[in-house]
Amino acid sequence: MAGTLDLLRVKAVIRRQFFVQLRAPQRWFDVLIWPMVDVVIWGSIGLFVDQQGGAGRAGAPYMLSGILLMHVMYQANVSMSCGFLDETWSRNIVNLMVSPLRETELLAGLMLVSLTRLVAGLGAVALAAWLLFSFNVTSAGWGLVPVIAVLMLVGWTIALLVMALVLRFGNGAEILCWGLLFVIVALSGAFYPVDAMPGLLQPLGRLLPSTHAFEAARRLLDGEPMPWNLIAKGAAAVAVAVPAATYVLWRTLHLFRARGYITRYS
Amino acid sequence: MSAIPISAGAPVRQTGKTMTDTVLHATGLVKEYKRTRAVAGVSLAVGTGERVALLGANGAGKTTTLLMLLGAITPDEGEVTVLGHRLPGGRSRAMERVGFAAGYLPLPDRLRVREVLAYFANLHGVADPGPAIEAGLERFRIAHLADAMAGELSSGQRTLVGIIKATLHRPRLLVLDEPTASLDPDVAHRVRVGLEETCAADGSALLVTSHNMTDVERICERVVFLSHGLVVADGPPADVARQFGRANLEEVFLHLASEEKI
Repeated sequence: MAGTLDLLRVKAVIRRQFFVQLRAPQRWFDVLIWPMVDVVIWGSIGLFVDQQGGAGRAGAPYMLSGILLMHVMYQANVSMSCGFLDETWSRNIVNLMVSPLRETELLAGLMLVSLTRLVAGLGAVALAAWLLFSFNVTSAGWGLVPVIAVLMLVGWTIALLVMALVLRFGNGAEILCWGLLFVIVALSGAFYPVDAMPGLLQPLGRLLPSTHAFEAARRLLDGEPMPWNLIAKGAAAVAVAVPAATYVLWRTLHLFRARGYITRYS
Repeated sequence: MSAIPISAGAPVRQTGKTMTDTVLHATGLVKEYKRTRAVAGVSLAVGTGERVALLGANGAGKTTTLLMLLGAITPDEGEVTVLGHRLPGGRSRAMERVGFAAGYLPLPDRLRVREVLAYFANLHGVADPGPAIEAGLERFRIAHLADAMAGELSSGQRTLVGIIKATLHRPRLLVLDEPTASLDPDVAHRVRVGLEETCAADGSALLVTSHNMTDVERICERVVFLSHGLVVADGPPADVARQFGRANLEEVFLHLASEEKI
């Protein structure tokens, strides 16, 4: 995975993804439509709970901030994973593996593309929440920036693991692109505090960097000062998760070449 | 021509070229998949500008050998050096001057032909690929397809685009896996002529696999036959046919294929 980055090759990867995004209508669903659908569903649930007087703390804002921040992970993961899956679906992975493209260059290109999609997807959620529920995400302040950074890194970590699984087990593993994400979302307490989860799952939830990020966001919404302790916990967990996932991918790539799995695509 | 021993680690054929004018040098390549030994000790050298065919029946080990030579599969044993760069460490540097196309591979979808070609030219370090793309499309007589969607091409058109993609950066070694498979005679002719022109213009060496012995005899000056993962013959086509007591490569191929378990 080591090696210097050739910017022309990174640019080529970005350009390729740009054309895919431009010409694949289903990709716009991921970036624009699903975020809005989620806002309507979760915002309405939150509003309904508020109307029933069941929410001791703000129901709709919690749901909307949860869905907004979940989409940070979603866009970061799905964009990067699908960028890689595109190459396996079209069997272009053979061409890439015998080209000068380094793994680091492919990843750098996919990360930059995913960053762009993340901004677009997040914008769509924020706009929909404001228009439909008068929820202004900026009310949480700049404190959301480190929260978003941690969640974006979690999304990329999942993407690295999905790539490793697809390399190891073939395209049958692509379901994990979405499946793994939703398991993490459920365990992270995107819409509820970890204390609300079954006791058995709480320790697992507390290990995840995203759990601390979601909790930090709720505190910010409640008007509390920046919860640096939670951000630090999230950052520390992410500092372990990203290198660990990178190592798993690197080892799997080694196995992919050693066992000749490329012949699945040739 | 002397016959190459049918044994693991068969020696590299001496082409009269030194290491400095050898673009590809592989020794003792071995690859096993679970209980199958796909490649059992292949050694191969390709000189600058040399046109070599790697032949054999299905299951002889051609594609695995090619993918090891290109760094996509790590050999269990043996070494590969491409343009002075030892694989796997030097893979990226080596591939900057290698072109690859396979007749069976689709092109990346959702791109126009011109965009596919620019994409691969960029990957190979060509910052302004426009003139090379125009020249390539003209050489293979498909300039009218420049703005067509790659996913909508016929298999013959796709093969031609694949070969152009592999030659835009003027590679020193061009590796083609089954370039004329399932092509009609006209397109196969265009492939042959285009390849000859490309190799002559750029001085590229050519390593090609094919089941079409007529194409091989027309394009290549040297053939390497694989059987059961081993090199069993290596030399000019006429010499190899003579070695097996056959009239031509087609008959050699049929003879070796009858011994191959597929």
